[in-house]
Amino acid sequence: MNKSSQDGLMLEISHAVHRYGTFTALNDVSLVARAGEFLTILGESGSGKTTLLRLISGLEHPYAVEALKLDGVDVTRTPAHQRNCTTVFQHYALFPHMSVVENVEYGLKVRGVAPAERRSRALSALEIVRLANKHDRRIHQLSGGERQRVALARAFVPQPAILLLDEPLGALDEKLRIEMQIELMEIHRQLGMTFVYITHSQEEALTMSDRVILMTKGRIAQVGAPADLFDRPESRFVADFMGMENLLEGRLVEHGGEHVTVALDDTTVRGRLSRQGSAAVGSKVIVGMRAERISMGAEPPPDATLNSVRGTLRSSIYRGKYLDREIETTAGVLKARIWSSSSEFEGSGYAWWRPEDCVVMPA
Amino acid sequence: MGTAQDETRRPASRLADYWPSGLAVPAFMISWSILVLLPIVIIVAFSFLQMKSYRVVYEPTLATWTNIIVSERWFTVVRTLRIALTITAIELLLAFPFALWMAKRCRSKSLKAMIVTLLTIPFFLDMSSRIIVWRSILDVNGGINSLLLNLGLIDAPIQWLLYSEFAVHFGMIGSYFPAMVFPIFTSLVLIDDEYIHASGDLGGNPLQTLRYIILPLAMPGIVAGIIFTLVPLMAAFVEPRMLGGGFVNLLGDSINSALQELKYPTAAALSTIVIVALGVLMVVLVKLIGRREGNTSLFQVVQR
Repeated sequence: MNKSSQDGLMLEISHAVHRYGTFTALNDVSLVARAGEFLTILGESGSGKTTLLRLISGLEHPYAVEALKLDGVDVTRTPAHQRNCTTVFQHYALFPHMSVVENVEYGLKVRGVAPAERRSRALSALEIVRLANKHDRRIHQLSGGERQRVALARAFVPQPAILLLDEPLGALDEKLRIEMQIELMEIHRQLGMTFVYITHSQEEALTMSDRVILMTKGRIAQVGAPADLFDRPESRFVADFMGMENLLEGRLVEHGGEHVTVALDDTTVRGRLSRQGSAAVGSKVIVGMRAERISMGAEPPPDATLNSVRGTLRSSIYRGKYLDREIETTAGVLKARIWSSSSEFEGSGYAWWRPEDCVVMPA
Repeated sequence: MGTAQDETRRPASRLADYWPSGLAVPAFMISWSILVLLPIVIIVAFSFLQMKSYRVVYEPTLATWTNIIVSERWFTVVRTLRIALTITAIELLLAFPFALWMAKRCRSKSLKAMIVTLLTIPFFLDMSSRIIVWRSILDVNGGINSLLLNLGLIDAPIQWLLYSEFAVHFGMIGSYFPAMVFPIFTSLVLIDDEYIHASGDLGGNPLQTLRYIILPLAMPGIVAGIIFTLVPLMAAFVEPRMLGGGFVNLLGDSINSALQELKYPTAAALSTIVIVALGVLMVVLVKLIGRREGNTSLFQVVQR
């Protein structure tokens, strides 16, 4: 079907570097997107994710790149309008002087598709985004969510090798955003197209993606399935970005089969290394636990295999469905999210968690 | 009128309370009628009257009109239309690329400010004094001819540089360039770059982006530019008088001399011709654009 079907790579970037003046926006970034994949590029503003998108779409030419391939074709020197990829813009950029259906068929019009055919293809695309009944509306007559769907239909109608989505849900309110996430996944499944999705929201990344690329300061911090990033962060940055509340510094003292032992001030805890062989005995490491995996009580836990530290209760905030508690230990402050009120206590007590819920990563 | 209502809610603008939109529209219509439409009606009516021994005879007659058709003044109308349309077309072809460059390509803010300032110069210098300078340059003994003679490129001075249609055209292009550039530039500046990026992203090459995105979105500015250029060109008299030297007779000039000779009905009839010609041209313009782009693009308000 296409030149790259043998290796199934729709997008291939190797060693991309981009600078704006003296500021390095992309620092040696390499990535691939497989055919039909929902790939999310996640990062805060200034992480380089938008620069990456602009390089792929051709709005910007890289300062240096070894290869930039779309569907197996090197497009490093190809202008934007000749690249086989389209973008759903953050603010949609729907043409205000055209009707909904004229917007959607624009990509076909400039490719010289006959009027009757492009109209019918545009209408069936509007069918997919459930807007066929509004095909003759003007853009300003549509709601935010509808504009979003028109922008999506307009981008996938020319059947690009990859579809770039630049924070497409950023301008929508929360309820609509969650609905659109489901709809986007459904449309992705239906079209079987390669989606490259840019966002700063870890929630969107976790919900929709097959694979997530987390970027920071122009570099890739970690690549993996949503669960990999969520459960096995390989660095403090990733753990923090993915919302791991408790991050303590320690020193690796022992490699032992499934688990490693880490010294935290005056106590030791056991946990699993997020990546095998990423830290040697004696090296500084970070220990990370999610707040909802930590239990608390006045007495130490009965099970001796659990990690347990002693401390004093610092604060307890009632949040309706759960309690947010902080306990001050010699190793640092631990935050816990308690779902049952049975474990309430005052003054000094214990916090404990399972070694499986304790991630160890290089500092 | 939505903004007028919004303003009434602000305590700062008390005046707005006494100026409801229900009054504003009729007030505008009435004053516009008195100030602009009424004189036009009077002018048209005047062309059917006659002057006898410096007095107006209030007795309807077609004498003035038959005289215009019989005499050679008829050719003046055609010539004026031809020159006005030619200059408008030339200005459009020159101004659009220039405005596009200034709005979308020119990155330097200071350069842009300088160009805008330079373009406003024609507005604050008297037209006659600007035009008369060209005489010394285009004259038989003027700058260009001397230069070409000295360089040995010509053996005898070029006669048609001054007091010719060429000279009139030449003078007009400079005078009316800003009138065409400014409205187009303003409408181009308002086009969000995202639309242009989106067009390219969807596969539109630069020409298609120009044709399908930039031109339709800039259409209100283009129409305004055409009107601001064409209307004063129909009444132009400085260039034909100064650079045409009596050889290029245009309507504006004819009206002027008719007024000086106190032939008011003739002046009125010639003015009527200008008004009718402009009206017809505007209708044709609106129809042409309306058919190509759909009526909405002409007076559209871009809403996001």
